[in-house]
Amino acid sequence: MRPDDLAALSPLLILAGAAVAVLLAAAVFRSHRLAVALTLAGLAAAFASLSIAWPHAPRPVTTLLAIDHFALFYMGLILAAAFTVVLFSHDYLATTCLPTEGVGQTSGPRREEYYVLMLLAVVGSAVLVASVHFASFFLGLELLSVSLYALVAYRREGRLGIEAGVKYLILGGAASAFLLFGMALVYAALGSLDFSGLARGFARGDGEGLLPLAGIGLMVVGIGFKLSLVPFHGWAPDVYQGAPAPVTAFVATVSKGAVFALLLRFFSMLQPPRHGALATVVALVAVASMFAGNWLALLQTNVKRLLAYSSIAHMGYLLVALLASGPWAPTAVTGYLTAYIVTILGAFGVVSVLSTRSRDADGVEDYRGLAWRRPWLAGVFTAMLLSLAGIPLTVGFIGKFYVLAAGVNSDLWLLVVMLAVNSAIGLFYYLRLIAVLYRPPSEAAAGAVASLSLPLGSAALLTLTLALIILGVYPAPLITAIQACLP
Amino acid sequence: MPEQTSALWPLGLYCLAVVAITTVILGISHVLGERHSEKGTAIPYESGMTPTGSAQLRFSADFYLVAMFFVIFDLESIFVFAWAVAARDVGWSGYTELFVFVGILLAALAYLWRSGALTWGTGGQAHAPRPGKEIEP
Repeated sequence: MRPDDLAALSPLLILAGAAVAVLLAAAVFRSHRLAVALTLAGLAAAFASLSIAWPHAPRPVTTLLAIDHFALFYMGLILAAAFTVVLFSHDYLATTCLPTEGVGQTSGPRREEYYVLMLLAVVGSAVLVASVHFASFFLGLELLSVSLYALVAYRREGRLGIEAGVKYLILGGAASAFLLFGMALVYAALGSLDFSGLARGFARGDGEGLLPLAGIGLMVVGIGFKLSLVPFHGWAPDVYQGAPAPVTAFVATVSKGAVFALLLRFFSMLQPPRHGALATVVALVAVASMFAGNWLALLQTNVKRLLAYSSIAHMGYLLVALLASGPWAPTAVTGYLTAYIVTILGAFGVVSVLSTRSRDADGVEDYRGLAWRRPWLAGVFTAMLLSLAGIPLTVGFIGKFYVLAAGVNSDLWLLVVMLAVNSAIGLFYYLRLIAVLYRPPSEAAAGAVASLSLPLGSAALLTLTLALIILGVYPAPLITAIQACLP
Repeated sequence: MPEQTSALWPLGLYCLAVVAITTVILGISHVLGERHSEKGTAIPYESGMTPTGSAQLRFSADFYLVAMFFVIFDLESIFVFAWAVAARDVGWSGYTELFVFVGILLAALAYLWRSGALTWGTGGQAHAPRPGKEIEP
């Protein structure tokens, strides 16, 4: 380890240090505010240290990690998203996770561990976006997943939370096994674990044959699970519904974003043939994800489940951009992911802010007449839903525009038409939810959602909405930044 | 792959032999063995003491906790062994890395200790002052 390596790794080191610091702070003095402050400080310091790492990029640090501008951009995105999630989490846990009396020591508030787990999950995501080796890929993924298993089941008093945690654990473990076996088969065929070695192997033609094809097929299963692509999406609605709202936001944004960044790096290094078996499978999965996600979202009456299916469809859109080749594709994927992260964070942020102690605000009835009771919040939610639908003047439109442009540029006409059809289907259920917001409130719902002052969450929502509109109206800085960071 | 197939046939023969011998032993004892059904036939020790209670006890969760801690810290010690055999080769940078590693383990141990995970049984925890009770609302 040379000093330059340490400087390049500084965001990861600071994050890991922050996780240990929060753990020790919880051991010495249990305080929710202290834990939140330390976590936010750690995330901010890691974000600031990106500027220390920037001059050293691109730089391979050991064979496992490559700190390049791509990795640093995604780390910045992940850190910003995690910062927002922690802001929501503070308000959410302060509202829902109150000290309970009696029944042994396990029923204490225990809010500090949440932040330790969240920081560890962020470390895992940051490792993922910088990894150029199967070993670091798997380690990052496991660090992320294992932290998420515990976070998903963090509210232990309800049945749904435990159910979601167990489902995510068992299915996630199975998916990891698939991924690992796939890696083993690819290694057996190509004799290399790092991506550049694999790329050389594929260029030589070692990627032909049954063995590497089976390995890549198994890896598609593992990655498809993490991204909740059809037909590996079964867990998504239940986990989204059962997990605490900020954790759901984290799963939908940071976890998926990091895995997708890795997929983008993998694809751009390996350059798989456009008409090979892998491209065909990815195209099929993309179409299936778009249709299944949007159609099943039409049937939902639970807002969290609706957003889960919507995120399945969005992952399908992203795969279209991934399949597109040429200079547009990485820009399109990164731009769309940024838009998606901003929007989904905002949407789950609203759910989180509205949640009460007894349950998350996930029924459609909870939102009925929100515009009359809490007009600002309803406005924010409307903006987020419009952005998810891809309406102009929101960042969602810019993302979708770039994906379509990338698809058209690469002559993926069938996929582009599917995407357009699905955007129309999607518009319907987003608008239906918006319509619910502006209906007159029912008497029962009026008192159901207590209005508390949640300063951090409200500030985060305001920032997200501003980002959504500013980037939607004037996306040039974002696009320039993305293009500067991509290889 | 003919050479692999020819290398595998003893294994196949072995598997067949295992199944055949087991079938023969069980089959012969089934045919020739004596059968009786009396008062004490179904209990574990036919001519010993009578079992009392059910075998399905509820173990305290503390056992699992201790087992888990053991597995975790035991696994971590493997890394120390791996470092030890290469200690001279990896030099001071390796030493620093191991130092950080053990430091994180110590932090985890301190956390476990302070959050009462090492206190045995619920009785002890109920009396022991719990560290840092939450004061703020």
